[in-house]
Amino acid sequence: MLKKFAKGLCLVAGLGLSTQAVAAPTNAELKIGISQEFETMNPLIMSMSASAYMYRMVGRSLVVLTPDGKWVTQLAKEIPSLEKGTAKIIEEGGKKKIVANWEIIESAKWGDGKPVICQDFITSHTIATSPTVSVGEKEQWTQVEKIDIDPKNPKKCTFKYEKAKWDFFTLAQFFPVPTHLEKPVFDKYSKQKEGYEKNSNYVRNPTNPGLYNGPYVISDVKLGSHVAFAPNPNFYGKQPNIKKVIVKLIPNTGTMEANLRSGTIDMISTLGLDLDQALAFDKKAKAEKLAFDTHFVPSVTYEHIDLRLDNPILKDVNVRKALLYSINRDDLVKALFENKQQVALHNVSPKDPWFTADPKIITVYRYSKREAGKLLDAAGWAMGKDGYRYKDGKKLSIVFQTTAGNKTRELVQVYLQNQWKQAGIEVLIKNEPARVFFGDTMSKRKFEGMALFAWVSSPENSPRSTVYSKAIPNNSNGWSGQNYHGWTNATVDKDLEALDLEFSAKKRADLVHEILKLYTAEVPVLPLYYRSDISVTPKNLKNYKMAGHQFYETNNIEDWNLN
Amino acid sequence: MSEMTMNEVEIETNQLSSKDRAELEKAQPMWKMVLTQFMDHKLAVAGAVIITLFMLVAIFAGTIQSITDIDPDAQNVGNRYLPPLTTAQVGQDVRETDIERYITENPEAADAVQKALVEKEIVAVAEADAIYELGAKETKEAISALQSLSLKEAAGFISLFKSFETFHLFGTDELGRDVFIRLVYGTRVSMGVGVLVAIASALIGLLIGSIAGFYGGLVDTLLMRVTDALLSLPHIPVLIVIAAIDMSKIPWLKAIISTSNESVFKMIIILCLFSWMSVARLVRGSILSIREREFVLAARTLGAKDSTIIVRHMFPNVIAPMLVAITLGVGESILFEAALSFLGLGIMPPTPSWGNMLNNAQELIYQAPFLAILPGLLIFLTTVSFNYLGDGLQDAIDPKAIRR
Amino acid sequence: MTTFITRRILQTLAVIVILSYVCFYLMSLMPGDPVDMMVASNPKITAEDVARLKSLYGLDQPVYKRYASWMGSIVQGDLGYSRTYRVPVQELMGPRLWNTFLLSAISLILSIAIAVPLGVLSALKPGSKTDYVVNLFSFGGISIPSFWLAIVLIILFAVKFPLLPAGGTQTIGAENMGFWADIKDRSIYLILPVLSLSIQQIGRFSRFTRSTMLEAMRNDFIRTARAKGLSRSTVIWQHGFRNALIPLITILALSFSGLFSGAILTETVFAYQGVGKLVYDSIIGNDYNVAMISFVISVSMVLLMNLVADILYGFADPRISYQ
Repeated sequence: MLKKFAKGLCLVAGLGLSTQAVAAPTNAELKIGISQEFETMNPLIMSMSASAYMYRMVGRSLVVLTPDGKWVTQLAKEIPSLEKGTAKIIEEGGKKKIVANWEIIESAKWGDGKPVICQDFITSHTIATSPTVSVGEKEQWTQVEKIDIDPKNPKKCTFKYEKAKWDFFTLAQFFPVPTHLEKPVFDKYSKQKEGYEKNSNYVRNPTNPGLYNGPYVISDVKLGSHVAFAPNPNFYGKQPNIKKVIVKLIPNTGTMEANLRSGTIDMISTLGLDLDQALAFDKKAKAEKLAFDTHFVPSVTYEHIDLRLDNPILKDVNVRKALLYSINRDDLVKALFENKQQVALHNVSPKDPWFTADPKIITVYRYSKREAGKLLDAAGWAMGKDGYRYKDGKKLSIVFQTTAGNKTRELVQVYLQNQWKQAGIEVLIKNEPARVFFGDTMSKRKFEGMALFAWVSSPENSPRSTVYSKAIPNNSNGWSGQNYHGWTNATVDKDLEALDLEFSAKKRADLVHEILKLYTAEVPVLPLYYRSDISVTPKNLKNYKMAGHQFYETNNIEDWNLN
Repeated sequence: MSEMTMNEVEIETNQLSSKDRAELEKAQPMWKMVLTQFMDHKLAVAGAVIITLFMLVAIFAGTIQSITDIDPDAQNVGNRYLPPLTTAQVGQDVRETDIERYITENPEAADAVQKALVEKEIVAVAEADAIYELGAKETKEAISALQSLSLKEAAGFISLFKSFETFHLFGTDELGRDVFIRLVYGTRVSMGVGVLVAIASALIGLLIGSIAGFYGGLVDTLLMRVTDALLSLPHIPVLIVIAAIDMSKIPWLKAIISTSNESVFKMIIILCLFSWMSVARLVRGSILSIREREFVLAARTLGAKDSTIIVRHMFPNVIAPMLVAITLGVGESILFEAALSFLGLGIMPPTPSWGNMLNNAQELIYQAPFLAILPGLLIFLTTVSFNYLGDGLQDAIDPKAIRR
Repeated sequence: MTTFITRRILQTLAVIVILSYVCFYLMSLMPGDPVDMMVASNPKITAEDVARLKSLYGLDQPVYKRYASWMGSIVQGDLGYSRTYRVPVQELMGPRLWNTFLLSAISLILSIAIAVPLGVLSALKPGSKTDYVVNLFSFGGISIPSFWLAIVLIILFAVKFPLLPAGGTQTIGAENMGFWADIKDRSIYLILPVLSLSIQQIGRFSRFTRSTMLEAMRNDFIRTARAKGLSRSTVIWQHGFRNALIPLITILALSFSGLFSGAILTETVFAYQGVGKLVYDSIIGNDYNVAMISFVISVSMVLLMNLVADILYGFADPRISYQ
């Protein structure tokens, strides 16, 4: 009996050892692993990162932001501008507005060969602004008041914008939908609540090539499992090199590596590994000479700690500064991230043209226990015998919250707790699942002291929603806005209002610098670090360039090459 | 006549073998019989030994900490994910703080050592920085440098520097904390949760089961329907809801709950909510069968109160199966805690529990498999032990049990 | 018999309605609704967006009204719309329910097929070597954390010896390979999940079979049957096992309650496209419609299985009759 068992084991082991090393992928097929869930890819309604990642392979917008941070055209012939006269400021009812000319490139076609026309933008605008359709962020649609088509050329039109904002041309998420397919659905079901969403072709018939205008069309989709892409013969640009792309969902990041090694997937997308896993994998891949490259690219995702400014302890700016002085962020980044992520000075990332590290403008906080001690002493918090500071018999104790289950944040949290302990500050950790943390604690401003989380943005994005005084969530504004810390500063408010309407790049930067100056002087937020986007690709993948912002690298997928 | 009877008795006793007689003589009390019976079940005994060992570890976690002199929260981020059986030195910031403290406490010794260090050109910095400079070096190197001074004042520094070297029996985790001491404290948390939940839920089950079983009728139907409903409810959603409640807002709980142990109490309450049903059913079943027995009828005829009948006559009869249920419940609770931690609903870091250590480690099982295997093994070992202990108890207590 | 069943079905329906309300209420107790979540992830959403979406989703209504309207559409056969995946619930859940059913049913059948004979075997020779080994195995099975086992299995059979896929439900594109190839492909993906799910069940069932069988074999009628000179197998199966069957049916029926929750861990580790993972995600993401349908299905399954168990008692034990 035992002998048989042993024999069997040997056989199994032998089989295992005899299997060949996984071959490098070719242009015939590329399987991408992703760890985040995706939804139906209706560009008007989707809100998940994973869907946005995939949609860039099948759908194009008028303009897009390149990995280098430049705005370039895609479906549009050129970007309208005031200087060239293709856009102009008009006055209407006492309000300044912008009218801009857009023209869609001649070769732009839907997957079924029908041309992409201005009417397609009108259709998506109509659907997205309809009250029965649950579009999340409506402002990007409502900012365009009206679209007028040139009667002589269906590819030419003028957009009238509600406000004269400098960034009117940044329509990277203003996607068209095919009028000939989606308009009938909308007309039929628009009366019903969520009727369009349930019956849209993107739900009912997602493999219809006519729905897409990118380098690929969707050939197979199984929610919660995978999406397969095939080249779009009617794509306006050059035909993609890779004949088949499959994006596969592997929700457990722990098994991602096993899947990569066993060849179930060929690469791990930006939405895949945790930093710790990537660091470990990188080392092993190098040691074992695996045919994979691990990419770490600084992103604009800003990890920070919001301080509740009406907390009696945190009200004192000295305490807030001391909190920042007593944490060694350089060491944190070195020890935990092996310098693959950058320390954040403030809420504008180094990738952003608005960034500044000039000590004449901003206050830079270098780790200094002594400085922290001095500030705390000045604030009246004296060191007690137990190693914690006290004032009027009260312990210097702050509650620290973040999303439970986020490994990196929990790691950073414990690391910081330890450093503050050495400065005599007691930090109590109280984490909650993401839905409670974001859905209630933060949005209803119920957090007690410190809250660690991230903001995802894009370069040259106004920080209005997070620092504007009217963006403090409260009952009267329906708990909207993300100024959770509750910072109010008249100068900042004024600058924010001016920023949107400022057409000079230089002056915009000056306005932002003034905000940053106040931001770093008053410390409503402890900046921690900028996250890096991480991906793992086969060594033979060429022309792969990670974006580091929300307009993902899949936007250039037609250039990717596995030969 | 009487003699005759006596004789008969004599004869009867004579018929007993000497072995039987010996056994009769040492007629044992109940607990001894149970013990003997229990001792026969080798694996149950092994389980009991392991559990006792873990209990001792849990109780004396603080002592173990002071003996080994390792702080479960001490981080050493320069030495993350160390393999088992390695020696590391504590982080430089910690070393500097300790040196600073020692120098302020022993200024004369520090002076002498600093002078000697500079004179012998071991370090090439100002006197005031000499010892710190030494602290920045490899600890072994620093110690041999100090020893080469052959100064009696250096002795204190040598022992200080020696304390900078830490030995990690089971390696270190993602923050460079010692895995061994965290497992020790994890034992306290996991075993504590397991035992408390098992006892608490057994008490709840006992109360509900006995009320249902004793009174029968409508009360029984009502309580049993609630039990059934709870059994058929999918657990996870309810657990998430409870995880979302801020328990420190409930006034009477506030006294015992502080933010740092909230998750532990939450865990216990959550697990209790979902583990009393089987005990309740068990108790109800036994009470139902006892209710009609002669001794209960007799007690009732004699006018005993309901509570007296329940407590005096019925409880002793359900204690044995309850004991078994509690024992088995501990193992189950430990498993449940680990599973909840796996879903991110468990005990919050930095409090170590086997469950959350396993959870923390599972994503890096390829890089640091030891981190995941150890807590998993401990969970497994404890649960097996409790299950065997329960089995042994069952066999020992149950008079009808098949002798091994 | 028929009246009994009708009565029980009616009772079951009532319980389902009550429990579904309880679930609905519990879900509404949790802080944060889908709109709040959306706001948190997107700094650009305005107060108007929030108010508009809340009224669109009906989130501004009191719980009982929301429940009533939800129940109303269920009765009309409309299971609603998943706000997370943006598809109708039927389309989302159908294939996943089938996958979970496949996984659970296979491991359940496998577990019973292995556990019951093992349990009977060890009960017949208590204290023997066989009993000892079976016990060791079953205690081990009960005590092993299932997700830990799953991870260890992946390391062994997908990383160290790459024989089996580390996760997934089937090879993409394998649907069109033909019937047998398809089945073969699916089974390869099922081996590890079934294994990790079964080991615990085998342990539990075999322990249970052993103890009920022991109990049954102690009865006086067994001695009588033996004394009558009936063959050993007749005594064991006709008299002993038949009496052990009743509690066994109960535990099997009850094990269905763990079907969804039990599969969650396994499905997560193996990235298996089942309903367990979906249930968890829908609750976390407050995807009401999906979560509620899953509750109702899960609760109904348990109640239904209890009913089935009650009916089966009648066949297993002629003494039980239903009026």
